[in-house]
Amino acid sequence: MMATREKLTMAQALNRALRDAMAEDETVVVFGEDVGHLGGVFRVTDGLTAEFGEQRCFDTPLAESAIVGVAVGMAMNGMRPVVEMQFDAFAYPAFEQVASHVAKMRNRTRGRVALPMVIRIPYGGGIGGVEHHSDSSEAYFAHTPGLHVVTPSTVADAYGLLRAAIASPDPVVFFEPKKLYWAKEEVDVTQAVPPIGTAVVRRTGTDATLIAYGPAVPVALDAAAVAAQEGRSLAVVDVRTLVPFDDETVCQAVRATGRAVVVAEASGFASVAAEIAARITERCFHSLAAPVRRVTGLDIPYPPPKYEGFHLPTVDRILDAVDDLQWEDG
Amino acid sequence: MRLLPSQTPVVLIDAEGEARPHDTYTLAHDDELLDAYAGLVAARRLNDQASVLVRQGRLAVYPSSHGQEACQVAAARVLTDEDWLFPTYRDTAAIVARGVDPVEALTLLRGDWHCGYDPYAHRVAPQATPLATQLPHAVGVALAARMRGESTVVLALCGDGATSEGDFHEALNFAAVLQAPVVFFVQNNQYAISVPLARQSAAPTLAHKGIGYGVPGEQVDGNDVAALLAVLGAAVQRARSGEGPQLVEALTYRVAPHTNADDAARYRADDEVKAWLARDPITRLESYLTRRDALTPERKQAIAEEADRLAEAMREGLSRDEPADPADLFAHVYASPTPQLTEQARMVADELEREAEV
Amino acid sequence: MSHQTFALPDLGEGLTEAEIVRWLVAEGDEIQIDQPVVEVETAKSVVEIPSPFAGRVVTLHGKQGETVDVGAPLISVETDAEEMAQYREEERAGTGHVLVGYGPEPTSAVGRRRRPRRATATTPVPGTPAPATPGPAPLVVSPLVRRLAQEHGIDLRGLRGTGPDGMITREDVERAVAAAQPSPAEAAPSSPAAAVVAPSNGAAAPTPPSTQEASTQGVSTRETERRIPLSAAGRAAAVNLSRSRAEIPEATVWVDVDATALVELRESGRTPDDPGPGLMAYLAAFVVAALREFPVFNGRFDAERNEIVSSTQINLGIAVQGERGLVVPTIMDAGSMSITQLDQAIDEVTTRARSGRVSAAELAAGTFTLNNYGHLGVDGSAAIINYPQVAILGVGRIIDRPWVVHGQIQPRKITQLSFVFDHRVSDGGTAAAFMRAVADAIENPVRALARR
Repeated sequence: MMATREKLTMAQALNRALRDAMAEDETVVVFGEDVGHLGGVFRVTDGLTAEFGEQRCFDTPLAESAIVGVAVGMAMNGMRPVVEMQFDAFAYPAFEQVASHVAKMRNRTRGRVALPMVIRIPYGGGIGGVEHHSDSSEAYFAHTPGLHVVTPSTVADAYGLLRAAIASPDPVVFFEPKKLYWAKEEVDVTQAVPPIGTAVVRRTGTDATLIAYGPAVPVALDAAAVAAQEGRSLAVVDVRTLVPFDDETVCQAVRATGRAVVVAEASGFASVAAEIAARITERCFHSLAAPVRRVTGLDIPYPPPKYEGFHLPTVDRILDAVDDLQWEDG
Repeated sequence: MRLLPSQTPVVLIDAEGEARPHDTYTLAHDDELLDAYAGLVAARRLNDQASVLVRQGRLAVYPSSHGQEACQVAAARVLTDEDWLFPTYRDTAAIVARGVDPVEALTLLRGDWHCGYDPYAHRVAPQATPLATQLPHAVGVALAARMRGESTVVLALCGDGATSEGDFHEALNFAAVLQAPVVFFVQNNQYAISVPLARQSAAPTLAHKGIGYGVPGEQVDGNDVAALLAVLGAAVQRARSGEGPQLVEALTYRVAPHTNADDAARYRADDEVKAWLARDPITRLESYLTRRDALTPERKQAIAEEADRLAEAMREGLSRDEPADPADLFAHVYASPTPQLTEQARMVADELEREAEV
Repeated sequence: MSHQTFALPDLGEGLTEAEIVRWLVAEGDEIQIDQPVVEVETAKSVVEIPSPFAGRVVTLHGKQGETVDVGAPLISVETDAEEMAQYREEERAGTGHVLVGYGPEPTSAVGRRRRPRRATATTPVPGTPAPATPGPAPLVVSPLVRRLAQEHGIDLRGLRGTGPDGMITREDVERAVAAAQPSPAEAAPSSPAAAVVAPSNGAAAPTPPSTQEASTQGVSTRETERRIPLSAAGRAAAVNLSRSRAEIPEATVWVDVDATALVELRESGRTPDDPGPGLMAYLAAFVVAALREFPVFNGRFDAERNEIVSSTQINLGIAVQGERGLVVPTIMDAGSMSITQLDQAIDEVTTRARSGRVSAAELAAGTFTLNNYGHLGVDGSAAIINYPQVAILGVGRIIDRPWVVHGQIQPRKITQLSFVFDHRVSDGGTAAAFMRAVADAIENPVRALARR
């Protein structure tokens, strides 16, 4: 097949992934609040109802717990539901369903009942949003065994990983970095889909390794660019899948330099970044010239737009952490 | 009181401005209605001025209650100082009508803080964004007051979409079983962003939902402030005398899009909006009061000027730019900051110091 | 392409109309979303109105000075149909608002906005070695060992580790330190108390810290104190000394010995051409014999398994005063040597040790140490055992002292033996017996040699 490159935003790429998945597999159904007629508040489900009909893509009443619970039932009975939680913080009513059933059904039935479903959640800040619209709740889901947790940071990965998530036999919580919805890239959607569970090196470097995911990846890349001007070479790893975590790629990238900084938006305490730092320390201890640092959001409720800049990891804050990596030790 | 709502929504002044008799509810006197009218004009001005301020970058977002001002004003008018109001993100007009300073009320939507007013000052709960989550809180406040022997009533606002949430179900059930003095006021403006009422519920009316819990339901013309004052007023009275919770559904319309950045043309036709514009709450009341010579040109002018002053106060208050104090980030997470927060505060302070030097 | 008309909005001041003060664009102009297009006057002030459309201005509905009704057309713009869609997206893309907030901040040029807390990479960082080859960072067993390497100026990238997967171990670093050049100007030790200090595996000859001369860098002068950093060798020694004292529950026994007979024997061995074996050779032979009789003192103690690990071979460490301080080279398999051979071996190791040519392996190979500090002019010493050995025998000066011989006080050549031993491997009785074996041999050397 000839490669076809087109310029898409991340929202468009996600839309294309849904469309292609629905076209290939008639058991794929999409539902949630405002996803049908409106096409989603971020237009990710734009045009799906028009193309596939209301049986395949439809609006639901305003009830997140039911959205997920109904998806569980549909997945039990032969469908592959792809549901949307409108915003990260609005998914909490559904958490009971996720923790008690989405995560546990396979295990509970000794593998007889699988739930091939995807829960899409726009997350993260940096959009000047008012309360509840900028949360990063991935830690609660990553901590719950039985779920796969995935978060793309590029347009190409948004397409590929959503396709992979929909095709997965395991339930996937798919975190979409909303501030990157409008990021535009030239992509070829006919390219191979990256498997779930693989991290990727976005930038090579020799002095230290930044490990980031989701909306923090572009910030990490910016930091690496600034560092390069200052004479320091930083590698950047995009984790992409939080669960199952790709220890090998991350650790290899850390062992190459001996210094690591984990970057993520979510509040640092008891976060996914903390887990990553612990894993790196355990596995790469002998390669480390300095402790693994974390650059994360502060341990506060997500602040109002006016204060957002103090909270989120910035290029400066990342570079401050890089400066602290005991360079005088060689 | 019977549980099911009346066959037709309660209306006391119709869309043409004509009085309509009702066996249960009484039309208020002119002076009360004039006061309500002034409130409507002010609320409308607030809505429209706020929408413009978003355009000018002075507010982050404004979910307008344009068209729903009768509900907003009535909600505030039927409460006393000892009562509580539980608003959503769309109820800024009601909050201001209750006495909260408009700039404080708009702090949330400006993005300066999550709540700009002291909830205890006017007994207005912080504006709730996640739908229906404030309804159980309302029940709790009411129960606590009753335990103390107070005659507080709580008026909890929510929309049609919110009645689909689990919290709505749980709150009504709790309130009914424990006989909490709560009036659940559903502003049915026909849409939850793009989802119309028909896709939200198959119930005959949202007021019908009350019967499942043993809570009496009533349906009102949501653009008729006279009917709202009567029905809400009665519900509050009943709750205050210990007769338990009530569900009131106001039929109104969200004339504006969900927020400024919503493209409503995608999911509804202009004709539908136009039809509801003809049922505007202000025009009908203005018509009624003018015909009765209660609203004189002088009075109208005075009310308009009052609304002007409100708009100016908003413009002035919201164009003032106060720098953010990052210490605020850490001061209100706990009663006293943890050692970790203190450390992080130091980090941020150090960052700012170095920024100043660049 | 589509024609979009923007009507005069209610500016929130209750006006029904506004006067056009001045157009900010002309027909035919290309305009952006939110670009101010006109100034209108309200009762209070002049207000700019931004365009919600991007595209080409087609019509300006009204001239300057004219009044426009609220809701009446103000400006018509020709936009791309696709651009209209783009408007919706662009509006959320940072040029305008999103559904719930201000929208993302427009990305600006990337660079630091804060002064760095400390020197960044562009400032040359002293002591940072340039990586020899790009490749994985070196594996090092622990941060402590990294620090050890760094303190000694060892480049980890230049080391080959002997641990699993090429991991650099402590021993690897210590070996590298031993092989490295000594730091300049170390004084000879004058303290007899810190006798044997060769670290367990191949560190350089140690010197008691207190007698070291200051290295040229890092001496800080303050009014009341002066700091003298240890040399590399000194640091390694300090570690081993501390370990020995910390881990070994040592005890000491000592005895004065009448060495007159031995001195006479030694003198009788001289010929005009050949000085004959020195006293040390005899002492070494006597120690070897005693070790054969009491093998618990020849080896080490395995604390993990609580076992005395006795060596079948006697590798006798001889403490030597070298250029860099006290060194303890080893005479391998001393038990197989004649006195003459011992004498030659002692000579040889002494010469090598004095010039610093002792291999790490050799330093580490000893099973027992004999320390003759008599030339320092002192008698006894509660020495520090040369970890991981379990005992050390010290011999002091031989001087004339009044002694009782056959009931009469006579001047005799008296020397003091100090025996420091690991009390885990032996009780006092055995230790005393060992010492008596050596002492008896000194006092009656002919009989001792006959028994060899």
